[in-house]
Amino acid sequence: MSSKRHSTAPPPPKPPTQFSSTSSLIIADAASLIGTHLISLSSNTIIHPRTKLISTYAPITVGSNCILSERATIGLQSEPSEGLSQGVVIADYVVVEVGARVEAKSVGEGCIIEVNSKIGKGAVLGKHCKIGPMCVVAENEELADYTVVYGNGMQRVDRSGVEHLKFKMIARQVDVLRKLIPGNLPKFINRT
Amino acid sequence: MANFTPYTYFQCPCADSVLPTRNISSDSPSAASGTSDQDERTFDPRAPRSNYSLYPLEHLLYCEDCHQIRCPRCVLDEIVTHYCPNCLFEVPNSIVKSEGTRCTRSCFQCPICIAPLSVSAVEPQPEGHGVADTAHVGQYVLNCAYCLWSSKDIGVYFDKPNAISAQLARIKNGGGQVITPRDRRKDREGRTREASMGPSLDDDGVQEDDGPKLDPNEVLDPEGQFSNLKSFYQSQIAEASPTSALGFTGGDYGYGSPGALSRIMGIYTGGTFADKKVKSKKANFREARDALEGLQIVDLASDADAIKKLQENRWQGTTSLEQRAEQLSEAPFVSDLRPLAYVLRTKRSKRCKTCRHILSKPESKVQTTRFRIRLVALNYIPAITIRPLQPLAPTQRSLLTPRKAVQFLLTFKNPLFENVKVSIATPAHTPGRFKSKVTVLCPQFEVGANTDAWEEALREGGKGAGGEKRRTKAEAHEGQNQAEAGQVWEQGRNWVSVVVEVIPPSIRMDAPDFVKTEEHKNDEGPLREDEDVVEIPAFVRVEWEADAAQDDDTGNLASMREKDGREKRELAYWCVLGLGRIARE
Ligand SMILES: [Zn+2]
Ligand SMILES: [Zn+2]
Ligand SMILES: [Zn+2]
Ligand SMILES: [Zn+2]
Repeated sequence: MSSKRHSTAPPPPKPPTQFSSTSSLIIADAASLIGTHLISLSSNTIIHPRTKLISTYAPITVGSNCILSERATIGLQSEPSEGLSQGVVIADYVVVEVGARVEAKSVGEGCIIEVNSKIGKGAVLGKHCKIGPMCVVAENEELADYTVVYGNGMQRVDRSGVEHLKFKMIARQVDVLRKLIPGNLPKFINRT
Repeated sequence: MANFTPYTYFQCPCADSVLPTRNISSDSPSAASGTSDQDERTFDPRAPRSNYSLYPLEHLLYCEDCHQIRCPRCVLDEIVTHYCPNCLFEVPNSIVKSEGTRCTRSCFQCPICIAPLSVSAVEPQPEGHGVADTAHVGQYVLNCAYCLWSSKDIGVYFDKPNAISAQLARIKNGGGQVITPRDRRKDREGRTREASMGPSLDDDGVQEDDGPKLDPNEVLDPEGQFSNLKSFYQSQIAEASPTSALGFTGGDYGYGSPGALSRIMGIYTGGTFADKKVKSKKANFREARDALEGLQIVDLASDADAIKKLQENRWQGTTSLEQRAEQLSEAPFVSDLRPLAYVLRTKRSKRCKTCRHILSKPESKVQTTRFRIRLVALNYIPAITIRPLQPLAPTQRSLLTPRKAVQFLLTFKNPLFENVKVSIATPAHTPGRFKSKVTVLCPQFEVGANTDAWEEALREGGKGAGGEKRRTKAEAHEGQNQAEAGQVWEQGRNWVSVVVEVIPPSIRMDAPDFVKTEEHKNDEGPLREDEDVVEIPAFVRVEWEADAAQDDDTGNLASMREKDGREKRELAYWCVLGLGRIARE
């Protein structure tokens, strides 16, 4: 590893950002947004401290009412292949849990990506999917709506029909987190 | 494969008392005849039987009365308590006998992923999300937080959030009512009464209050079928033999009784047991006629249904082998799955098989993990740890180079409060097709008592005193070839390290004949699993002096009484030292 940290080195350039609302969006001071492509975030989304959004290779788009947890890494980590130029697109009401790594092409509405799971580059998650803790979605894999990935790569389709309840739960969780996490939005504003 | 952790296994002496070990893979007749003098025989860790007598030290117990190691094979288990691993409630023996070994409260496992299920309310749905759902407002379901399965998926809803087990027993998948055994009995009694009184009563409708009327063409679940069949054949036996030899009336005369068993034996062994009277009565038996008597006719339409279901639900709708194995009855489709009640666990005490003394007894309360009695071998016999004498660089491969001498440190740690004398004996060459040359540089030594570490430190007042012999890193490096014969390498308060030198063999199958061992010439088969591991059988003898026990006449060891209440103790056993894997050339 040649990338030694020097405290004297200038801070990396801020990535260009685009926020749909500046009042309801919370980005913790210790979150890190790095890269050169556009990062756009929508209203009511919560970004925990130490969440990493990396737009070095491609842009990142996150919908409203999303929760991105600590040490989660969002964004491509290598040069995008063909058809991935729009980067990572995350829809509304998506929860990305602690330590998860998301390089998906798109994550559908209401998905839950559990602790330390990995979503490979170019994967497409349908609506209301749940990726269990430590589970892996392969590169370019496509999951239909309501797929649950659990255990040792097992899958099932969940038709319990409680999506609206989950939306309510997430909205409530967002309300609580907004009070708990002090945001520092101005630090990240960089209109180009 | 790349990583090998050295190990030590101890042989429980109970293996000797059963049968001599014999290498089955080498079917030479000399192997059987050579076992006449058991004490002289070298223990072969690779003999198939050895698998059943070798244990890590942590798995062994020690009987203080027999002065002997005890392994899981030579102890008796006794159940102290049954308890549910989920709710930690103790289940009394009487309940276990009547209700079976599953939790009868509200503890269930997910039939899909075995995670614990929790009870949750089906919330009211104001937005009209479906007519079917609104019917279940205010009801409860079991759901899995891990894979999101819920009892909704099989159409099972509960009225109350408690006593789920009892509620589930009455609900079929899909929501139908299960006919309980009580209802079935009622119905049967009704029918027998009806039969005895004649069918004329039918018109008066007297039997209306007898509960649900059962359909003779009903499709039974396995429990229902079993209970119907059982009662049918019981009544048949009762009719066939109105009074048994002992004068009981037929009702209690099941297949469990000795008379019935001998009759069944008679049927199979050609009539020596069967008396002719019973034989003639056997002819009166008739078989079940309908579902009420437990007869289920295979319905060809059900196959067609299954195929249709398969086409509709595809792979996702079928269950896996593991899921099916957990179910109590056949469940080919996801819709057939039932929540799994938790299987009870037990706390057990262990007794010595020879003298019946208790070796291990847990606290009977479920929540505590303490033991009242726990005589583990770890507290009685020296533990042996193995490490290479020359520490490996992290990049270096841990494989042993053939034909190159390598030295290992064996560290003996004494758990006793007395000094012990240890002697180790190993064969010069390990048994098997590929023979390693083994030399223990110091086969006899004394290990200090396990006294209080602080006391020792205060009394000796400093490092280096009291026979403490520790080598610094530099010393160890310089002295790597200076391990002297007859000298211990390092020693401390209650431990001693000695050096063992091994010359691993080449494990080439195509080696020229003159390097091959006798066994290898006889058996040219390919390399077997773990045949490339250097395993050294070692006979360890431990001697110490202990306070004389009160009643020691049963001890099978040479314990000779000496003056002033001290007596000599001796313990001897085989161990296996797994040192490393030999590199392939
Ligand atoms: Zn044993
Ligand atoms: Zn329980
Ligand atoms: Zn589950
Ligand atoms: Zn005993």
